[in-house]
Amino acid sequence: MRQALIGIVALLALSPASMAWAEDFETRLSPSPLTDGTRINIAGEGRVKASLDGKTLTISGDFHGLVTPATTAQIYDGLGIAIPGPKAFDLTVTQAMSGTVSGSVTLTAKQAAGLRAGHFYVQINSQKAPDGNLTGWLLPPHPFAGEDVPVAGAGFLPQLDVPQKSGGR
Amino acid sequence: MKRILASSVLGAALLGAAAIALEPGPFTAEQSRTGRALYAANCAACHGSELKGAGEAPPLAGSTFIAAWGNRSIDELYNLVKASMPYGNGNSLDADTYRKIVAYVLTANGAQPGNKSFTGNENIAIATIADGKAPVAVAEAAPARGGESGAPRPATSYPATRFGLTVAGALKSYDPVTDAMLAHPKDADWLMYRRNYQGWSHSPLSQVNSANVKGLQLQWSWAMNDGGAAQVTPIVHDGIMFLSNTANTVQALDAKTGELIWENRVGPAPTRAYGATRSLALYGDKVLVPTTDAKLYGLDAKTGKIVWQTVIEDAKEGYSNTGGAITIHGKVLVGLTYCNRYETKHCFISAYDVNTGKVAWRFKTIALKGEPGGDSWNNLPDEFRQGAETWIAGTYDPDLNTTYWGTAQSKPWTRASRASGAGATLYANSTLALDPDSGKLKWYYTHAPGENFDLDEVFERVLVDHGASKDVLTIGKVGVLWKLNRVTGQYEDSAQTVFQNVYDKIDPKTGIPTYRKDVQNSKIGEWISSCPGPAGGHDWPATSYDPKTDLMVIPLHQSCVLMRAEPMEKKIGVGGDAGSQRLFEMPGTDGNLGKLAAYDTKTMKALWSFQQKAPFLTGVLTTDGGVGFVGDFDRRVRAFETATGKTLWQTRLPTSAQGHIVSYAVDGKQYIAIESGLGGGSPVGKPTTLLPNIHHPGNGNAIFVFALPDN
Repeated sequence: MRQALIGIVALLALSPASMAWAEDFETRLSPSPLTDGTRINIAGEGRVKASLDGKTLTISGDFHGLVTPATTAQIYDGLGIAIPGPKAFDLTVTQAMSGTVSGSVTLTAKQAAGLRAGHFYVQINSQKAPDGNLTGWLLPPHPFAGEDVPVAGAGFLPQLDVPQKSGGR
Repeated sequence: MKRILASSVLGAALLGAAAIALEPGPFTAEQSRTGRALYAANCAACHGSELKGAGEAPPLAGSTFIAAWGNRSIDELYNLVKASMPYGNGNSLDADTYRKIVAYVLTANGAQPGNKSFTGNENIAIATIADGKAPVAVAEAAPARGGESGAPRPATSYPATRFGLTVAGALKSYDPVTDAMLAHPKDADWLMYRRNYQGWSHSPLSQVNSANVKGLQLQWSWAMNDGGAAQVTPIVHDGIMFLSNTANTVQALDAKTGELIWENRVGPAPTRAYGATRSLALYGDKVLVPTTDAKLYGLDAKTGKIVWQTVIEDAKEGYSNTGGAITIHGKVLVGLTYCNRYETKHCFISAYDVNTGKVAWRFKTIALKGEPGGDSWNNLPDEFRQGAETWIAGTYDPDLNTTYWGTAQSKPWTRASRASGAGATLYANSTLALDPDSGKLKWYYTHAPGENFDLDEVFERVLVDHGASKDVLTIGKVGVLWKLNRVTGQYEDSAQTVFQNVYDKIDPKTGIPTYRKDVQNSKIGEWISSCPGPAGGHDWPATSYDPKTDLMVIPLHQSCVLMRAEPMEKKIGVGGDAGSQRLFEMPGTDGNLGKLAAYDTKTMKALWSFQQKAPFLTGVLTTDGGVGFVGDFDRRVRAFETATGKTLWQTRLPTSAQGHIVSYAVDGKQYIAIESGLGGGSPVGKPTTLLPNIHHPGNGNAIFVFALPDN
């Protein structure tokens, strides 16, 4: 009984901290910036989930539909959402036209803040798209209601840097 | 290494250094020679016989082309041309034709043929083989422009035919349209672009409602001209539908049966991407027809015969009208588009007497040196101040006797290419409030001062009253829904409808946006991100305002762009938009380019929204039956409940749904008219690139009219 009580107390002591630090992020991987002239080599899609636990960011996801095998994958630290920036970390990626991407990296406090502001993105490169084949911006979870399914309000607008403006009179 | 070499060659080419020897091109003289004729047949209609480009068709030769393409590879050019050309009909020619056309384009940029045949797989930087300087032989022997007399026509062109009054007929009677009718249109009519002067795109008819809309059936349909963009609005008066087609063909149809009464093929055949005006206008006994070759015609509404015609501006210099017209106090007001070349002329809004075609006034939409606002262009000489097109017709408040027009962005697109610094570039991307009788400016409000990404604020101005507050609402490509006081032009409120990263903030008191630092500091050659991209946010598919619910239903588009400012030679006659683009999915949208959202215009809060893969390509129609209608890129047309957004009925058309959906009544029966249509700029081009798995035929402009069964 006493041991059980100690266990519960210990659990209660630990849980808030771990729950407070566990933050989830997700993204769809879609073709990197392209033109009609380059889309022949820039195709495919995928999904990535990420979890920030303390300073540790863990990434896992999958992809398919590449035209040529994946070569490398990285996390980039953008200047804002959808604004490209420098490479931050390497990830592990299956060297094939479909497969998985994963990694675990340690973030600085500044990087963690950037992640929370939506600045981090995952990029998979491939043989014929060495400067970007699939890209996805890590954002808070945003379940999609489904095509044609109305939702209340404006839907998910990830204005993490620039709060949505309304009611300015 | 190849890139470094290309950059060096490009830099040298731009600096005019002639010392660097070009390598022979990977194509044969025969490919280039036959490519010339193929270019004339398939490309010259839009890009011009001298490859200079026009309107939205970029130049394919010269320093502007080399600046944009010098660092890119020949196979990328080939793949782009093959995937997307002829415009709207990508991949419709055989591979050998595309190879020969590219060989000709390279030759026209100074590339010399070699011994190897071009295969399309050559990963060679263009600047290593071409410097943008056409050989004398090529320059002198430029192929005739497609569509002109005796020249081959583009593959997508209007079929060769005669022009003029091709079907003679006469309406049995015609009730001349008056100011009173326009101010208070009959419920059964759709007398103008967005039905009423306030620009609501709302029908007071209620026979079709949320309970019975699923019973809609096709009553009649009518194939329209193909060739060129068709984004038209059927105009209906007393049971007669006046329909604009490509080639500036105007038809009068029995709106109940679809029977043709008269047809005037005003012409000319489309020689550019745009083939039909978005809207005709009515006044008195005239049908007013602004044409794509920048003329204005007054037709006899009963017979379709031309009563008068006048020139708005010289089409040979590239000017056009695609934005329709509005009639006020016996005048027809029209805008002008494709003002993106360096000229001593500038874009303008103009008004003409509906009975004679005589010009009444012009309002120039560019502020020149010494004029009010003329100090907003970074001291650029007047001839290098371009853009501010008016490619959507205005709206009108009879009580205030004020007409409201939006303007497009300044040209070229980017601050760096324009060399306009941080200047607002007035009156680009503004709301203009004009006196319709004199053309005098009452006030203006600039929504996007010094815009940088082809993000127009040109679209519909919607007039809504909230008690004593007289508002004008509009939404542009950046996706911000703006609300101004339409008496004073003072900013009242705004709401963001899609994700945007262009502005760091919007001043809550003035509405003036602050651009991101990297946008403010952007330079030639830098790739800069913009969400939304050039398809919007919001584009020409118009909103609808439902006065019963105070909801504005807005078709939205969600994609982004990396845009690179290209150098633009400051020289009269040179022109274009000078921005290269790379498209990508908007973060957080799960790849759904389409979004429909309803906003309470008093609170500016979104009531509902939904997303889908395909973007919407029609204006929205709402009705007093509590039902709205909208159509999309994937050929679907749906009816939805205005209050909730719930889909109540849907059908599919032969090709993409496009244009403006209208509702009217004949003999007490309500009809819904929906266009299938093709062509256009970014709203069609961007999803064509980003959604390659959505297919629709490359022909099929038509009108489809639905109603409930008689029982």
